[in-house]
Amino acid sequence: MHGQCGLFFRTYAGEARIFPSRFLLVSMGLFGAVLCLAPLAMNNYLVSVLCLINIAVIGAVSLNLLTGFCGQISLGHGAFFGVGAYAAAYLASLGLPFLAVLPAAGLVTAAVGMFFGLPSLRLKGIYLAIATLAAQLILEYVFLHWDAVTGGSSGMAVDPPQVLGLAFDSDVKMFYLTLAVATLSVLCVRNIMRTRLGRAFVAIRDHHLSAEIVGVDLFAYKLRAFGISSFLAGAGGALWAYYTMYITPEQFGIGLSVSYLAMIIIGGLGSVLGGVFGAVFITVLPEFLNFVAQHAGALFTDISGALLAMKEGVFGLVLVLFLIFEPEGLAHRWRLVKAYWKLYPFAH
Amino acid sequence: MAKYLVWSLACVLALAATAFAEEAITIGLLSDLSGPTSAVGAPYSEGIKDAAKYINENGGIAGKKVNLVEVDYAYNAQQALAAYKRFISQDKIVALQGWGTQDTEALTKFVGKDQIPTLSASYSAHLTDPEKAPYNFFVAADYTTQIRAALKYFKDNWKKSEAPKVAFVYPDHPYGLAPIAGAKEYAKELGFEIVGDENVALNAMDAMAQLLRLQKLAPDYVWIGGTTPSAAIIMKDAQKLGFNTTFFCNIWGVDESLVKLAGDAANGTYSLQTAVVYGQKVPGMAAIEKMTGGTPKMTHYIRGFASMLVMAEGLKIAAAKGELTGPAIKEALETLRDFDPMGLTPPISFFPNDHRPNMSVFIYKVEDGKMVEVAKESLERKAEWLGK
Repeated sequence: MHGQCGLFFRTYAGEARIFPSRFLLVSMGLFGAVLCLAPLAMNNYLVSVLCLINIAVIGAVSLNLLTGFCGQISLGHGAFFGVGAYAAAYLASLGLPFLAVLPAAGLVTAAVGMFFGLPSLRLKGIYLAIATLAAQLILEYVFLHWDAVTGGSSGMAVDPPQVLGLAFDSDVKMFYLTLAVATLSVLCVRNIMRTRLGRAFVAIRDHHLSAEIVGVDLFAYKLRAFGISSFLAGAGGALWAYYTMYITPEQFGIGLSVSYLAMIIIGGLGSVLGGVFGAVFITVLPEFLNFVAQHAGALFTDISGALLAMKEGVFGLVLVLFLIFEPEGLAHRWRLVKAYWKLYPFAH
Repeated sequence: MAKYLVWSLACVLALAATAFAEEAITIGLLSDLSGPTSAVGAPYSEGIKDAAKYINENGGIAGKKVNLVEVDYAYNAQQALAAYKRFISQDKIVALQGWGTQDTEALTKFVGKDQIPTLSASYSAHLTDPEKAPYNFFVAADYTTQIRAALKYFKDNWKKSEAPKVAFVYPDHPYGLAPIAGAKEYAKELGFEIVGDENVALNAMDAMAQLLRLQKLAPDYVWIGGTTPSAAIIMKDAQKLGFNTTFFCNIWGVDESLVKLAGDAANGTYSLQTAVVYGQKVPGMAAIEKMTGGTPKMTHYIRGFASMLVMAEGLKIAAAKGELTGPAIKEALETLRDFDPMGLTPPISFFPNDHRPNMSVFIYKVEDGKMVEVAKESLERKAEWLGK
């Protein structure tokens, strides 16, 4: 199979295609097939890690839309995720079916996200970050104190989702469900970026004044970015609620918001693929470190405790090293790898 | 030839390993060794591990050894979930030793569905209701029972004619809020006058504003629901203000580290505990002193030790009846009546419709930097208190 060693687009539509080459289409198809068959060869633990990755992908891609593409920093994404989870738990407790709960949770979160996005007209950069941090704190307070809806400190139980009579009560079934939603979210964001809406987001990120001069209504588009991003976060939160079956306010703390920011920075800001890579990396890293600690512990029994305790430190160290040596994220490295093989063996 | 030798050796080793695995009873251990609660999480998990060692050295359970598989989940629900899935699918655990609110509650439905009896150190009362949390157990009186016991003790020892005044200081956090409603209800019932509420965060650097407000209300007793760092801040600030009151603290608010944090200010504070402290004369202390070589451990270590002993008792009863399955262990635990974990905690009983281990609380007082036992308060097992 021959790839083109350069850009040879003859139409704008051709350039904007999701799969610019047949090779890419085929390889993505193969990847999808392998992913769908993967649970057959895996135990429940590995499948559950895949489920967590799927849910994290939704969160990371949605935050990347807001922060990476539109330049609106958000420290409240974890709380938006929580709004989706609580909305889903509450609506499900009223007896609504899953297929209605999922978009409804997204809509509720979109409304909340847009409300907290209102200051984005006046605030930029670090100021907006603090405003969204306020959103995080306010929403956490609401989760804890609105007992009638959120169950307060006791949290809420959620039953496994049912779609057309089929109960998604195992990890494998939840894997397909979360994969479907994650795929839809990724495609949705990818498609948004190919439209006028996406171009307006990038224009706002790159220079808000220029964007306004070429006719982008800053406030309307920033609000849309908050709305769409929160909608997806809400859907991700709903899936998290359905997957864990029990939600408490503690699960949606500032730590979750920071971990989503870490995902998009490590994966690559302003890249859909980056969100996916970051979600995979951040979800798998602690599991990998646990694996290492456990197996190193089996060989040298005395240091297993010390290794386990060092895990968080190693996690931090890996992040720092990443930022130093790969500041543009995994997506950038992936592009370099692709370019290398496209030109191989004629690197120049 | 050498290659074949190596291969056959490897096969023998692998077989031996599986044979060993069959002989052992595998139990999952979720610990926080590196997260925000690691200061108390690490000694708790050490207690569990030492108890498992003690059980194995003393004949194990029905001839089998206890094999603990530990994962440090850093107080993160997502990591706890992944670790739990690994326990279930790879390690094939029959029971789980959990840790804090975050993991215990995130896993409540899972352990119920997978039928994995779980003992943890999250003592929220709602986990004692088997209708909501059928597979959850713990070995300490729940947070609300702890406050109720202290209130009863103070009321019984109240000499003045006017009603005693009580105020509550706690973090605005699920753990801090959980017992407040039940405690206030009981305080009213006993005839306390509730004069105020204040919030002091778990990571607070000062509590002056809150204490100034409280000082004007002049409460006789102030409940502190936090962890040792925030409790120490409250006590030190109260000392600076000359705020004269009797503090009483929940189980995570006073331990051996409080005196180091608060110094003199800690003196006179009442501490509610559900396990003895290191060095106290109870039958189990000899074993603990031997395991630890006489190095004092925190009271959380002793509670971890007791938690593993109680789980082991459930395993023994279930093993004597037949196969070790989750439901069998749960049923076995529910037959415990006044089981004594070597004197380390008050006797433990579980019932099929009531997972409150007991209604007893040890009341300690900090005197000259040491925790001294002053009373053991036992309440009636009232049905209306279950889960609240």
